[in-house]
Amino acid sequence: MASRKTPGKKDLHPNMGIGSILAVLLMNLTIYPFLILWTLGTMAVFPAAFLVWKAGTRWTNERIVRFFIWIYGRGWIAILSPFVRFGRKGFEAVKPLQPVILVVNHSSFFDTYCMALLPFHNVAFAIRSWPFRMYWYTPFMRLANYLNVEGLRWETASRLAREILGRGGNILFFPEGHRSRDGSLGRFYSGAFLLAMETGRPVVPMVISGTDTLLPPNRWWLKPARISLEALPPVDPKFFSGPGAHIDLKKTVKEAIHNRLMEIRSVSCKSL
Amino acid sequence: MTDPEIVEKINASLSEEFELELTSMVPEASLFDDLELDSLDLVDMVIVLEQAFGFKIREEEEIRSIRTLGDIHAFVIRKKHQIRQNL
Repeated sequence: MASRKTPGKKDLHPNMGIGSILAVLLMNLTIYPFLILWTLGTMAVFPAAFLVWKAGTRWTNERIVRFFIWIYGRGWIAILSPFVRFGRKGFEAVKPLQPVILVVNHSSFFDTYCMALLPFHNVAFAIRSWPFRMYWYTPFMRLANYLNVEGLRWETASRLAREILGRGGNILFFPEGHRSRDGSLGRFYSGAFLLAMETGRPVVPMVISGTDTLLPPNRWWLKPARISLEALPPVDPKFFSGPGAHIDLKKTVKEAIHNRLMEIRSVSCKSL
Repeated sequence: MTDPEIVEKINASLSEEFELELTSMVPEASLFDDLELDSLDLVDMVIVLEQAFGFKIREEEEIRSIRTLGDIHAFVIRKKHQIRQNL
């Protein structure tokens, strides 16, 4: 079992002054209570808000729940914003292509909440089984028709995903399946790319950076960071064919994410 | 297709799908401990084998008992022989 780390010389930069250390302390003492209050508050308000939204918009239930999950994520971003600078770019080309299959690298527990940086809310997450065991979130994930790609047979997951896309919902995958422990891009699972080949929907590679500074795996305390979510040019599956088409598509998308991550890291290193 | 050709094709397909070194693909290699695959990978593995050999195996109970690369070799070779006999 991974042990929890406490702030040490390796985590706190040697050049960090007393001001920065106080900022980290203040951040951790304030953010967690606010996040808990925000979570409890939104859960308490949700049933009434759902009914009002339903009456006012006539949206489908799943879309309304996805909208409120997006709002909830925006709340996390607002709570963190005194200590974290958030940015987003590259989504101008994505909006008109919807519904799309979004794939993003994964390096922190916070990555899922940062998906509220997306400029649209109608997104179903395709995730493993364990997030469904966070019982306080489970009903919302079920109502939003999130896909348990680990617990379902591929035929079932694929059919449900096609239905979601058919109703106009986007589907988001973390193709590495788990958080990167060393910052490198891990092996990609094929689900997102098989689905793209089956449906012909574009794949949008996305790069999230900075969440590994905010909260990497094996650390529980938060650290100020700059977080950016960037959409790279969408990849059309129609340019891939043959028995190994999904593997070629996967390689293309992975290479795009890898190259952009390397660029971001080299700029970060130069600015240190 | 001969049995060694089947083995070669299996190894090439799995190595491509899972970014594995061909040198690590020995018959006694455990899928989980040595090749570090997991339950989600098994889904991808079945799809890759179906695409490579043009048969349907996702309903086969025997898939669940596969533990090593050698088990996969033996399973696919048996399946190919069955198909040949039924032709």
